[in-house]
Amino acid sequence: MTATAPAELRLDGGGAPPPLLEVESLEVVLGRGWRANKVLSGVNLKVNPGEIVGLVGETGSGKTTLARAVVGLVKPRRGRVLFDGAPISGLRRRALRAHRRQGGVQYVFQDPLRSLDPDLTVERIVGEGLAIRGDPPEEIRLRVVDALAQVGLDASLMSRDPGQISGGQRQRVSIARALATGPRLLICDEPVSALDASNRNHVLNLLSELRGSLNLPIIIISHDLGSLAAIADRVVVLYRGKIVEDGPIDKVFAAPRHPYTALLLASTPSVTESRSLRAHQLRLQEGEPVPLLGPGACVFAPRCPFALAETCSAQPPLTGVEPGWSNACSRHRDWPNLARGRS
Amino acid sequence: MSAAVNDVVARGRAGSVLRLRSARIALAVLAAIAVLAAFGPTLAPQGPLTLNTSSLFQGPSWHHLLGTDYLGRDVLSRLMAGTPLSVLTALEAVGIGMVLGIAPGIASTFLGRGFDFVANRVADALMTLPSIFFAVAVTAALGNGLVQAMVPIGVLLAPAYFRITRAATLEYSRAQYVEAAELMGASKFHLVTTHVVRKVFPNIVVTTASLTAGALLAVSFLTFLGIGVQPPEPTWGGVLSSDLDYLSQAPWAPFIPGALIAASVGALNALADAFRDRGGRGALALPQLAQITVRTGPTLEDANGSQRSVA
Amino acid sequence: MALNDLLLDDPSVATPAVRGIPTREDVLRIDDLHVSVHEGLATAVRGVSLRVGAGETVGLVGESGSGKTLTCRAALGLLPAGCRIDGGSVSFAGQDVTAASRRAWEAIHGSQVGAVFQDPASYLNPSLTVGAQLAEVLRVKGRLSRQQARRRALELFGDVGLHQPGRVFHQIPAELSGGMLQRAMVAIAISCGPRLLIADEATTALDVTIQAEVIDLLLDLRRRNGLAVMFVSHDLAVVAELCDRIYVFYAGQVVESGTVEEIVHRPRHPYTKALVRVASGGDFRRRHLEVIPGSPPQVGTYMAGCSFADRCRFALGPCCSGEVQSVVVGDQHEVRCARANDVELSEELLPV
Repeated sequence: MTATAPAELRLDGGGAPPPLLEVESLEVVLGRGWRANKVLSGVNLKVNPGEIVGLVGETGSGKTTLARAVVGLVKPRRGRVLFDGAPISGLRRRALRAHRRQGGVQYVFQDPLRSLDPDLTVERIVGEGLAIRGDPPEEIRLRVVDALAQVGLDASLMSRDPGQISGGQRQRVSIARALATGPRLLICDEPVSALDASNRNHVLNLLSELRGSLNLPIIIISHDLGSLAAIADRVVVLYRGKIVEDGPIDKVFAAPRHPYTALLLASTPSVTESRSLRAHQLRLQEGEPVPLLGPGACVFAPRCPFALAETCSAQPPLTGVEPGWSNACSRHRDWPNLARGRS
Repeated sequence: MSAAVNDVVARGRAGSVLRLRSARIALAVLAAIAVLAAFGPTLAPQGPLTLNTSSLFQGPSWHHLLGTDYLGRDVLSRLMAGTPLSVLTALEAVGIGMVLGIAPGIASTFLGRGFDFVANRVADALMTLPSIFFAVAVTAALGNGLVQAMVPIGVLLAPAYFRITRAATLEYSRAQYVEAAELMGASKFHLVTTHVVRKVFPNIVVTTASLTAGALLAVSFLTFLGIGVQPPEPTWGGVLSSDLDYLSQAPWAPFIPGALIAASVGALNALADAFRDRGGRGALALPQLAQITVRTGPTLEDANGSQRSVA
Repeated sequence: MALNDLLLDDPSVATPAVRGIPTREDVLRIDDLHVSVHEGLATAVRGVSLRVGAGETVGLVGESGSGKTLTCRAALGLLPAGCRIDGGSVSFAGQDVTAASRRAWEAIHGSQVGAVFQDPASYLNPSLTVGAQLAEVLRVKGRLSRQQARRRALELFGDVGLHQPGRVFHQIPAELSGGMLQRAMVAIAISCGPRLLIADEATTALDVTIQAEVIDLLLDLRRRNGLAVMFVSHDLAVVAELCDRIYVFYAGQVVESGTVEEIVHRPRHPYTKALVRVASGGDFRRRHLEVIPGSPPQVGTYMAGCSFADRCRFALGPCCSGEVQSVVVGDQHEVRCARANDVELSEELLPV
């Protein structure tokens, strides 16, 4: 069913429940004509119930586009998205609205200042999804109170408008709105980037709890590896529209197989300085020639100190070395030693 | 302390408009005119049509506060009595403009590109027509009444409403909370009615204030030309016109109706300005002081352009 | 200092911090700064004192509303409208600039202090090439000729780590990435040889790999040119990577200051401890995320006594009344806490 190598299917282990979300060979192009930009290409992703998947990448990685493609805000040129086994990327208009009204997949935006209507009360905001699908008002009210309780907010907030509550509370209202319809998958786009440090962890802890109490799979897009490490189960690293590593987060962060993942980890500032590899060992230094490999080469090659013409002239496929852990580096066995040798 | 701060940092509500002195003055002027529009003829101290050939061209006096005109009629009474016709027909034109302009403006954002294209071209066409000439032409066809004359004025005001409503609706439909509602399966109708329509009101209010001023000016112009009124029916423009005929005898006379027209038009424009400056909604009220003070530079933005102020 | 030692032996005596005698070495010195906002309606900076020595990197850390950015702006003479300095002083290398005129500031900007801010694109003219903009600064302020300015600009672009300076010279801001723009801004900021560079959230909007590069650049400039840097950020981890000394801001005051080593490994103020705990995670373990209960006070709504008392689990009666003085607790280490010398606080272990 998926387009990944057969090896993955074997290693998955039979008897596991089918993934709730499947993204198959997704390709997204934004813009037209000479401005066309292939934002995602050949992306495969699976999300199972009860796991938090961290989607990591920098500007231009396509992580937000991937999330938007999953919820249908962006139409893929190739590939498809399956939710609970049914394709949803091809839905249009009425069918799409019907699918959305079911509320199975919900989205939490980054900035609650922009994603909550300042003219509506918290009650109306949280209940909007239910109102749209026509639930009776008394039931809506009950579910709103319930959703607010799930995010740790008191029902007394219902009559306030977003301007009257704090930033952390606003983001929790945003999450409550997503929970009100009883979703089976939550997608959060940088849910804490717009909050300050104290509030950030409140919301992250909340997401972690929701995963446990509701067995709710959550995709969290984030650039903050430290926060993800604390609560996520799996991490998917994107670079320029391609997945370069996908695996269990503790293993990946302890010993990344792709040099870009390692670069991200090494670049993350730390209060304590305990890094086995430093960022400057993992990036091209001044004077080092930029690898010039033709088009179709590994997408990270231009920045990679370990790129070789023999191995990196073609984009390496995402291959699994261990069950559930795959990477897209053709030199993944060699580069760690080379890196340690660099000054 | 925070209550005082609330006062200093204006919230986007109607209440804050009244804090502007210009708005208060404007409203006072307009209130007076509204009273006259309702009760002008009855409030007039003397009959507007009462001739008094013995006291022609008199300057202001106790008996005639604004003097008398070329037929000895009390100017103040004529202007007061002429208010309803001028003001109400101006409002009629604005009303027609609103009815014809607002609904298509909002609808064109969700009725598809075809409708939008056609509506825009119709608006373009109407905007090319010179208003006064068009009105004159229409009265030639429909008959010489002021009510009929304001219909074409109203039609020509519609494109302004259409444009402004359409632009505001488009802008507000791009908001992220609209996208959020879309993700929950909302129909376009729901999106527009729940999220967009009430935010467009401030724009409509501002537009109405300035278009009423324009309509009032158009009425004055038409009546000045003698369109739509049978003498001796008093109107502001008519009084101004006849005053100009007798300029040598009473050089002060045209200033009076002129000032009245200018005052009402000016008050409307001042009110429009006040609403535009203070009446904007769709923005969160009273951000934390910490965020206000550091609006010196840009705020934290990511690729999506969402912002957070970092103090 | 003998006097301090004597007093430190007696824990019941709160030692007011010894105000250092200004030395010629201090590139920047701020003493007891008070800044009010909204035409004096509220005080956002309440008695902040700090110093930056030659070639030092100093970090100002705090959340929104802590006063760190306004302090930074006051140090640059760039307070927003409605804000003003109500008390205290700011001096550059001994020269008092607290009440400096616009002309005086024009002379200081660029030659004594340079600045980079968060969004470089908005500080550059979008229709001129970055090379032209740097060259303009060099001609006007540095009084170089056209030729010299161009040459020097290319050199500077190379110094800040821009590959192919010749190419970048002819590019407009829209053609450059965020990281490259920030490097260009650094080039402009240091072009006239200031001894101090002030960076206000300069890396906040950058990708993490680019942020690391810019941090390395600043460290490099410090090594090569002896440039002092004052780095303002809400991110303690970034500050810890870059800076020698840290000032921790809360509710308009400096609640703790000291070397990075002291602040990160032996924080004494409960807020600093909380910040360190919240910022930890650089080792990427799965852990429970620490939260700081409550939220910082709104500007202007400060309570009597310690502003952190309502969120502090060590708060006692004396914490809520009377002004809390800053106390010296170690070499270059000061804490503004009424219980600074209490054994309980100082020995609390941190899982860092």
